[in-house]
Amino acid sequence: MSLINYIIRRILLMVVVLFGVSLLVFSIMMIIPPGQRVAIYVTQEKISPAQINAMIKKYGLDDPAPVQYVRWLKQIFSGNFGYSITASAPVIKGFITYFPVTLELVLYATPLIILVGIWLGTLGAVHKDKPVDHATRVFAIIGYSLPTFWLGLILLMVFYGYLGIFPPGYLSNKGKNILFSPAFKRYTYILTVDAVLNWRWNIFWDALYHLVLPTVNLILLNSALILRLMRSSMLEALGQDYIRTALAKGADKRTIHNIHARRNALIPVITISGVLFAGLLGGMVITETIFARDGIGLWMARAALQMDVPAIMFNVLFLGTVFVVFNLIVDVVYAYIDPRIRLV
Amino acid sequence: MQKLIEARDVYTNFFTFEGVVKALNGVSIIVNQGETYGLVGESGCGKSVTVRSIMRIVQSPGRIVGGKILLFLSREDKGQGIDILKRSEAYMESIRGNDISMIFQEASTSLNPVLSIGYQVAESFLLHRLDEMLKETIDTLKAEIESGKLFITGWWKKFQGLLFKAELKGLERYTDMVAGIDRRLYELEDSTDKISIDERNHLNRKRDRLKKTVFVVQCVRHLPFIKHYGKKLHKTIRIHVIDLLKELGVPNPQNVPDMYPHELSGGMQQRIVIAIALACHPKLLIADEPTSNLDVTIQAQIIDLIKNLKSTSIASVLFITHDLGLVAEMCDRVTVMYAGDACETAAVKDLFKEPLHPYTKGLLRSVPKLKAQKELESIPGTVPNLIHPPSGCRFHPRCPHAKDICSEDKPPLTEHSEGHFIACYLYT
Repeated sequence: MSLINYIIRRILLMVVVLFGVSLLVFSIMMIIPPGQRVAIYVTQEKISPAQINAMIKKYGLDDPAPVQYVRWLKQIFSGNFGYSITASAPVIKGFITYFPVTLELVLYATPLIILVGIWLGTLGAVHKDKPVDHATRVFAIIGYSLPTFWLGLILLMVFYGYLGIFPPGYLSNKGKNILFSPAFKRYTYILTVDAVLNWRWNIFWDALYHLVLPTVNLILLNSALILRLMRSSMLEALGQDYIRTALAKGADKRTIHNIHARRNALIPVITISGVLFAGLLGGMVITETIFARDGIGLWMARAALQMDVPAIMFNVLFLGTVFVVFNLIVDVVYAYIDPRIRLV
Repeated sequence: MQKLIEARDVYTNFFTFEGVVKALNGVSIIVNQGETYGLVGESGCGKSVTVRSIMRIVQSPGRIVGGKILLFLSREDKGQGIDILKRSEAYMESIRGNDISMIFQEASTSLNPVLSIGYQVAESFLLHRLDEMLKETIDTLKAEIESGKLFITGWWKKFQGLLFKAELKGLERYTDMVAGIDRRLYELEDSTDKISIDERNHLNRKRDRLKKTVFVVQCVRHLPFIKHYGKKLHKTIRIHVIDLLKELGVPNPQNVPDMYPHELSGGMQQRIVIAIALACHPKLLIADEPTSNLDVTIQAQIIDLIKNLKSTSIASVLFITHDLGLVAEMCDRVTVMYAGDACETAAVKDLFKEPLHPYTKGLLRSVPKLKAQKELESIPGTVPNLIHPPSGCRFHPRCPHAKDICSEDKPPLTEHSEGHFIACYLYT
């Protein structure tokens, strides 16, 4: 019962945080002079300075900041986030088409990143200073130090270019034909889920096949941090007195590692996992560029280059929400794992 | 008196970056059945390492490098004892917590903070008394089926009973195989020719492999659907846990199993640690400074508790402490240790009446007494660094009676009078 209370209270607090985020976002917007902000309202090819001034007046872009802020908030609450030039659609619509592509990759990659990190980290800690430990260390160092674009390109070069095992892009041409035909209904915009819902297993496998390389790329790059963290916290847990108690009880090694040590070691890993998940949702510009996945990262890169202010603002607001929500989730998971943490 | 466990010339080293710490330098102790044995010495003298060597839980980078630890259990040996240093890890796991168990100093860190008290105590039952627990569960299920009227639950319970019976059968087969291996291993105990050594190694490995099947069973039990049927077993164990807690004088034993260590006071935590150790009625309880970090009234309670348990449920106690008063009160026999050497072993009365070893004498003189008016005496010098311990007798640099031979050879443990052993050249 106290848990539900806690969550409700945190959600109420979240409103305050989001209000702060909106203020921040708004002040970012106010840095841009009115003459540039007016560009999104301009429709004709040529325009005189007088006309621009008139438009600034008309849309109230030179009003005092509080007035503009209230007006902006009103717009947001009515669901109007403006028009994105880069998406050639309203921001919301752009978000709905781009975000699921990112979400799909993140949903497949993050559990694997965390599992691989935890597994290899445990392995390293259990076989400390043995060949297995050194192997995981090498893996982690490679993951840390390789630049994303380089690893992505190498993966493409080897597995697509030389070996031809895995394709680039996000769907084969044949798949795209089916995808854009009216018979294929987009329920969630997450390709694999839609394919299953449409009972199109060939599309599902096709999409999954195209997900392999980017997922591997993300795993190699991101599990390194979790691996090292897991290894060190597992080592710390294995050196604690309660492990000695478990040994004296007659517990075997597996029980000790899996039940007595791991749960204690997971706490720092959870923090990082939450941040990682939220960070990946914010978009993986380079990964998405290399593997030609039209996700939110790619969209943001374009929007930033073309001064697509409404799109950027919406996404900053969205990312803020994601981080706050994930912090809440992490706190709840903490309390589940560690009974000493009481959520009150 | 019948021996229970004997450590014969045990050497344990810690291989650290700074060098090899020679923590135990040929320690020999004998704990008889039914006695309370004390192990005293200042901190860092190797008391804890001795008992950890006896249980074979010296953690890395430590390793037992020499000696014999003989265990005299009535089960399969014929009075010669089993050298546990030669046995497999799986064999040790079946001994620890079952025949020998241990309680620790600082109960607060000895309990796992993220596991419930109930689970931590129940684990001892799960590890060593699973067959009895399964039988009991099957019996309660049978009784419930007979008394129950509902058709569907009856079938569900019969199904549960079948699963438990299958598990019990598997467990019995496992126990039979393990018993067979142990019997054969005991026959090979003393033989030194190559063939039997090979066979011994093979059997030890086989025993370790067999243990893995137990782990598979545990994994299966954690599967989502099957986990549900296992609840019945946990209910049975829970009854035993509550009984045990009641026996140890834990207030409110019905609710304590659902609590976590941080919700209990220090004295209660120590009781839980004792409960974990006593769950399977061990033959030897090793108490590693069980009362340090507790306040005095709780100390007295815990000591009384151990005394009571000694008279009711456990055969022998190996008591480690640096408190000589406690030794005088609790123990029958006592060994004084200094820097990894066992200096003197005697009955408590003899030791306090007639200490022989210079270190023991110094130790007893440095105990504050109520009537004494003089300044408290201490032993001059400091405890040696065990990476480069003094040659010969490790006490000789601080010893007022040191002779030339003391720095050359380690004095052997010799019997001075009956039951009074001493390792010092003054008495040879």
